[in-house]
Amino acid sequence: MQLVQRFELYACLQCGKCTGGCPVSLRTDLNIRRIMRELIFGEEEVLKKEAIWDCTTCKTCTLRCPRGLEPSEVIVALRATLVEWGRVPKTVIEALEATYVHGNPWGRSRQKRADWAEGIKVKDLTKGEKSEGLYFVGCAPSYDPRLQRVSRSIALIMKLAGVDFGILGISENCCGNEIRRLGEEGLFEELREQNKEKILQSGVKWIVTTSPHCFNALKNEYGLEGIKVYHYTEFFLQLLKEGKIPFKNPLVKKVVYHDPCFLGKQNNIYDLPRYLLRGIPELTLLEFSRSREISLCCEGGGGRMWVEGTGKGTRNSEIRVKDAEALGVDIIATACPFCLLTLEDALKTTGLEERLQVKDIAELLSEALGLEVER
Amino acid sequence: MNVIVCLKRVPDVAEIDLQVDASGKSIKTEGLPYVLNDWDNYALEEAIRIKEKTGGKVYALTVGEEADEEVLRRALALGAEEALRVWDPSLREIDPYVIALLLSKTIKDNAIPFDLILTGVQAQDDGYAQVGPILAELLSIPHVTLVNRLELQEKRVKVKRELEGGLEEELEVELPALFTIQSGINEPRYVSILGIKRVAKKEIKVLDLSALKLDPGEVLPKIKVEKLFPPPVGKGAEILKGSLDEISEKLLEIFEKGGVI
Repeated sequence: MQLVQRFELYACLQCGKCTGGCPVSLRTDLNIRRIMRELIFGEEEVLKKEAIWDCTTCKTCTLRCPRGLEPSEVIVALRATLVEWGRVPKTVIEALEATYVHGNPWGRSRQKRADWAEGIKVKDLTKGEKSEGLYFVGCAPSYDPRLQRVSRSIALIMKLAGVDFGILGISENCCGNEIRRLGEEGLFEELREQNKEKILQSGVKWIVTTSPHCFNALKNEYGLEGIKVYHYTEFFLQLLKEGKIPFKNPLVKKVVYHDPCFLGKQNNIYDLPRYLLRGIPELTLLEFSRSREISLCCEGGGGRMWVEGTGKGTRNSEIRVKDAEALGVDIIATACPFCLLTLEDALKTTGLEERLQVKDIAELLSEALGLEVER
Repeated sequence: MNVIVCLKRVPDVAEIDLQVDASGKSIKTEGLPYVLNDWDNYALEEAIRIKEKTGGKVYALTVGEEADEEVLRRALALGAEEALRVWDPSLREIDPYVIALLLSKTIKDNAIPFDLILTGVQAQDDGYAQVGPILAELLSIPHVTLVNRLELQEKRVKVKRELEGGLEEELEVELPALFTIQSGINEPRYVSILGIKRVAKKEIKVLDLSALKLDPGEVLPKIKVEKLFPPPVGKGAEILKGSLDEISEKLLEIFEKGGVI
């Protein structure tokens, strides 16, 4: 079916709320309002636009559309056509092929996928052990040394709280959230089926994820009936309420929370991470002027971890850390591996490394709980 | 123009700690991820581009077991007209000569009409870089190795080869001929999973020794692996131990002593 019919493009008013809210329209050639209209005159010309790869699939446009259209899904559909034609940026080809062969977009060895848990006794549910719940770690938190501090924090906090959980070990695959958004629907389906089979075999009743991206895929796109999927912030708030994570250390810090798009905009989880942060003794929580529904996307989603894009000038993540500096905070807290990496890179490029820190909420919790996360 | 492209499926070992198997002549292959040999990927893309430019057909060939058909599916998804796989359970030890012999018999016996044969420069697993040249000899056609540019003319091809020291050599070759393709000659396109699924039922012709009218006694390797082993640990390497600060200080000392800084 033509995109015009599939996405009801004749219904578009050209009001411009999509482009007006687009976090990359100011710094790249992407103009989603224009694409929505140009597609009516033919797909061929639109498909020549390199800016199709600039979109972070943050979904702001779709949420703002007064006609209920889905501009962000139009981008995914355009990418899907390019994927079928094989006309894909080289760095994306590498990420897609690595995911197919190794189960993660960075092409890291499957054999090393569970190395992050070294020294922490975690059940492997693919090796005959049983648990109520599954911790779905995700690719980046499994392999990236910086992000392993986050996955280790999450596992240690759950152990401290006496939660019965396990992992899929080296059998865990990429969740496919970004793969689908890069337009590789076939590969996404393959990953989903492989993961679903392992999850159903394990017999778990609930799943906790590190990343809002895995959370989104597992919760909204896997069709896991009867299994509850939580982002760890939701799950930990429950533990806090039940008194299972008693904070030992105060954290006398000023903290601002950066909303990850796949947690906030896409899954409406704004308050829970903030409640968690407020629960930490002596921590002062501040707000960005652009927070919650109008939070500025870090540009790490929708596959942008593997495409530089046509962007010029200051990156959103750099704007974000400068805003945080102006607020006078010590720490930018987030709850997403991609946000953490992009914001931390921005600290380096803006020279703010000495003045500010970027931390995942899980790390701040483990500090307040007095947990030894390092190996 | 009709193009034959020869493909090989190889283990992707970039991040793997390889181990020698019990025979001491090969590696443990259990659990290894497999991919199309990188050089062959460029050869395949070049073959498809020639077809798109000039018309004609692409024939994809491989020597290997059923799992190796994966690389042929990739070729079919890109638009190759025919795919052939050669294998026989009696094949135990194979070397570049055996592979080239089986490929040459397949091409001759099936009377595959070709103007060009493309192979990768070498395979990323054993790295012999011999199949292309031996195959050309067995078919009595000219060959050029390390080709990083290919310009088609009528019944001739102008090719460039990459030489040492940044030099390039330009040659004119009469067709039919064989070229071993260097990586970087083109930018291979992406092959989607749906694209591969679409050709899942397309026929792949499988040939064994009897189909090729070959006797197992005729298919013997000229090279035999005696022993496979990690090289002995040499001298001169030093691993610094201690805290980050201690290591940094020791390193600085070494640099200063060595006159680096």
